Amino acid sequence: MTSAEPVQLDELVTEFADLEPRERLELLLEYCDNLPKLPPELEAEKAAGMHRVHECQTPVFLWVDLVDGLVRIQADVAPEAPTVKGFVGILVSALSGKPPQAVLAVPTDLLNRLGLVEALGMMRTRGLGAIVHRIREETRRAVAA
Amino acid sequence: MAAEYAHPEVLVSTDWVEQHRGDPNVRIVESDEDLLLYDQGHIAGAVRIDWVKDLQDQIVRDYINKSAFEELCASKGISNDTTVVFYGDKSNWWACYAFWTFKMYGHADCRVMNGGRKRWELDGRELTRGTEPAYPRGNYTAQEPDPGVRAFRDEVLKHCKANRPLVDVRSVGEYTGEMLHMADYPQEGALRGGHIPGAVSIPWSKAANEDGTFKTKRELEKLYAKENGLSRRGRIIAYCRIGERSSHTWFVLKYLLGYKNVKNYDGSWTEWGNLVGVPVEKGMPEAKPAEEPASAAT
Repeated sequence: MTSAEPVQLDELVTEFADLEPRERLELLLEYCDNLPKLPPELEAEKAAGMHRVHECQTPVFLWVDLVDGLVRIQADVAPEAPTVKGFVGILVSALSGKPPQAVLAVPTDLLNRLGLVEALGMMRTRGLGAIVHRIREETRRAVAA
Repeated sequence: MAAEYAHPEVLVSTDWVEQHRGDPNVRIVESDEDLLLYDQGHIAGAVRIDWVKDLQDQIVRDYINKSAFEELCASKGISNDTTVVFYGDKSNWWACYAFWTFKMYGHADCRVMNGGRKRWELDGRELTRGTEPAYPRGNYTAQEPDPGVRAFRDEVLKHCKANRPLVDVRSVGEYTGEMLHMADYPQEGALRGGHIPGAVSIPWSKAANEDGTFKTKRELEKLYAKENGLSRRGRIIAYCRIGERSSHTWFVLKYLLGYKNVKNYDGSWTEWGNLVGVPVEKGMPEAKPAEEPASAAT
């Protein structure tokens, strides 16, 4: 997997679905490792506590905007929460650079479709849905602006 | 420092773990909230025990049974006489939770690495990536679950009606009923907010330092005995939301301060806040007149 190649969400779902739970976690860890570093110009906003996803247990920061009509997602997740970071890595790979309609069409039960609820257990995954909601919400706002 | 605690042997330093990594009589166990942390890097030689997949029954809301626990230990290379050292993320919440589960099944020599993952990383010590090491199977016979460490709802209700001490270790907002869960944490489905009547509010985090280590015995005594009047001889029940943060407090009271009779109510608020007909109290209790219980002397 290279982060430069756009990933199609439905392909990703199929890829995950074909794996054993253990292999899903390995793939999740790859996405965690490959989440692009936060651009330095956004560090100050992060330090000021802006763009934090407050519904999520661990510090997750999301910047969602439109560049040439396409959605751009930039993110930062605390390293002590690799599960969350991996999921954000998946979302950035699959959604950044896509048209807003594609982002707005992301299923809210994406985690389930990826088989990650099964791999991680229900108690661990409840907060992650908030990240999908936030990306959709901010995309909607960016389109309206 | 550790020597001052009531049971100093249960707490080991990161140094101790570094020195005992290759000791065949010692099994180091990582227990985290985040499942991928172990894959990302763990103490070389450590095995993983997961609170969701390994310790909990996947169908019934309960722990694995005695024979499943025996199999778990044997498969991790743990025998009855093995020294098991737990460490993990979140100031050792899940390490204490696993420790508590091991005590429930009667494991003799359980310890916690003071400061957990955070302290280990702050020390700049090495973490290794890669698969979990396999050890020769252990030889394990568990005891029946010890009712002395675990409280169930009926017992908690009796305890509450008898005005016996309860410790609510959640955040103040959860205690007063302003929120139904920890700040920034997912809602875990309690229909009523508040606390068990009579419970004192002592958030678990007051027992931990920034680096995840435990506070000193003097600081802990001040917190639990002096400021909150919890007697060492009292029958105390601690609870939180699902029993993990209260395992941390249970560990502090029982092993660091030497309280004789402390139980963890693992049903905790996700059970109590949904039980039909049990009493719930909201808000902060009226401030009591300053009065120091005789047993609270430090």
